[in-house]
Amino acid sequence: MSVITVLIVLAGITFWKIANDPPVTTPVEFTAPFVFGRFQIPKDNPYTYESVKLGRRLFYDPLLSGNNEISCASCHKQELAFTDGLPRAIGASKRALPFNSMSLSNLMWGPRHFFWNGRVASLEQQALLPIQHVDEMDQDLDELMEELKQDDRYPVLFRNAYGRITPENTAKALASFQRSLISANSKYDKYLRGEISLSDQEEYGRKLFMAHPDTKVSLRGGNCIDCHSQFLTAGFATGFDGFSNNGLDDDEHLQDGLYAFTGNDAHRGLFKVPTLRNIAVTAPYMHDGRFASLEQVLEHYNSGIKMSQTLSPLIIEADNREKVDIQSVSLNLTETEMKAIIAFLHTLTDEDFLTNEDFSDPFNRGSDHD
Amino acid sequence: MTKTIPLLTTLLLAAVVAGITWQLQSPKSLTLRFYPYMGEQVLVFNDLRYQNPGGPGKFLIRDLQLFISNIHLIGKKQTYRQPDSYHLLRFDNDKGYFDIVLKDVALNEYDRIELGIGVDPDANGSIVFSGDLDPNGRMAWNWQVGYKFLLLEGRLTSNEKSIPLVYHIGFDESYTRVTVPLANDSGFFDQITTLKVDFSKLFMQETPVNMEQVSTVKFDPDNVRLIAQAFPDLLSIN
Repeated sequence: MSVITVLIVLAGITFWKIANDPPVTTPVEFTAPFVFGRFQIPKDNPYTYESVKLGRRLFYDPLLSGNNEISCASCHKQELAFTDGLPRAIGASKRALPFNSMSLSNLMWGPRHFFWNGRVASLEQQALLPIQHVDEMDQDLDELMEELKQDDRYPVLFRNAYGRITPENTAKALASFQRSLISANSKYDKYLRGEISLSDQEEYGRKLFMAHPDTKVSLRGGNCIDCHSQFLTAGFATGFDGFSNNGLDDDEHLQDGLYAFTGNDAHRGLFKVPTLRNIAVTAPYMHDGRFASLEQVLEHYNSGIKMSQTLSPLIIEADNREKVDIQSVSLNLTETEMKAIIAFLHTLTDEDFLTNEDFSDPFNRGSDHD
Repeated sequence: MTKTIPLLTTLLLAAVVAGITWQLQSPKSLTLRFYPYMGEQVLVFNDLRYQNPGGPGKFLIRDLQLFISNIHLIGKKQTYRQPDSYHLLRFDNDKGYFDIVLKDVALNEYDRIELGIGVDPDANGSIVFSGDLDPNGRMAWNWQVGYKFLLLEGRLTSNEKSIPLVYHIGFDESYTRVTVPLANDSGFFDQITTLKVDFSKLFMQETPVNMEQVSTVKFDPDNVRLIAQAFPDLLSIN
């Protein structure tokens, strides 16, 4: 009798340990250009093959929405660099959201704040908010957990990646998949690696992109580098340096932007500076998708800037002609210069990224790589 | 009994002396605490309170960052060189100051702090990631030009005109080594040395800078020199 009791207790302990021990996972080995710099992966969410695999399936699964019709990929389509082609995203409520769907790439680098108004500080914090938002995916998390537990594959995928099916682990898996979306093989990347040369027009555009104009030394520039870093082409990572008021609205129409998160008046109208990687396929542009083309974007910076209290001094001051009226804001680029900058922006398109099967919909037959 | 008491006292004294000696000689941490000033007052951001030194109007500062690099502690017998010593000073935080902590240093051995304002030419001409150097950061112009050593942006209001202020000061020629005394408290505990970074010195020069006339400085060498010549006077022990 006592032997049976001992065996039952041992079996119970073994079962408990199997159920609660962290799974054995395999760290993802990946390479990224040296010039992308340092990156951070949270210690409590190691970047593993198992978490990426789970996250990829979750990302593409409409089960995550209340009506089981909308997935993350509904607004973040790979062929559009994980944007949706709409000025403002439309989700469960069929109402246009306040913001344009942001491109997802190279998220291990760049600003440490997510969403256009920077309201969360990690991908893990970000992941569950659209799922629960009534206008986006309108899902109840408790219901979602039940649906995941009833699914044929998720219990095993969660067990392999994290152990248990929980909202936190769902968020971690989605964050891991998004971290895997590395775009580093555009024409610009190949140029940086010394593999190719840019055309004359692209090279001219690159130089203009990298320069703040200074008429005192006859330096012409597109002023892009003041907000978009030279290699990542995203906003700056430190503090709120990656947020800017880029002259879209005057004081009367200035939206809250970062102010909604910080409550700091100096942050009113500041929005996250997005990556320009794959920018040629992510129209329309700006946080509210108001510009349909890169030509319109350049036209805005060249002659459409609206003054406001928090407008960046760098934008007000930047002019390729000697300023005669400080209240007039214009870059005064020529048509040739604007076309050159756009040509350079096209070198940021990474076809490998847009077609990489590892980032594709695993529900499509034949693309679920194990 | 009469022999035991002196012996115990001697042993106790020896232990105390050994303990003090050990504590004095053990490595300490030195915190360099930088406070931003405008003249005699601590700097306040986003407040139109500062008089244009060389002309009419008042100005505010909205963004301010400064590179400090290659911190050395210098003594009579030895020099401590902090590794990866590139620090981007910024003060737009709740504390209002910026700390640099040098760990495990024999404080008693040193009597001066030497540091560079800006980024030394070797690092300035490279794309290495060391300390706070970040080629994708706001202070990087681009890989062909190097870093801004000082970024000061704001606005001057003069005669009802609002004039953007942009002072981006870089270039190898601007890199300036400065020395300040290291006051050694007791050598017994970790130490905090406070330094005053007086940004008014940039403009309150022998001929005060009229910010209405020199409202932006980026690449023009003469203008850069005009502002950077104040670098040697920027820091002092508070």
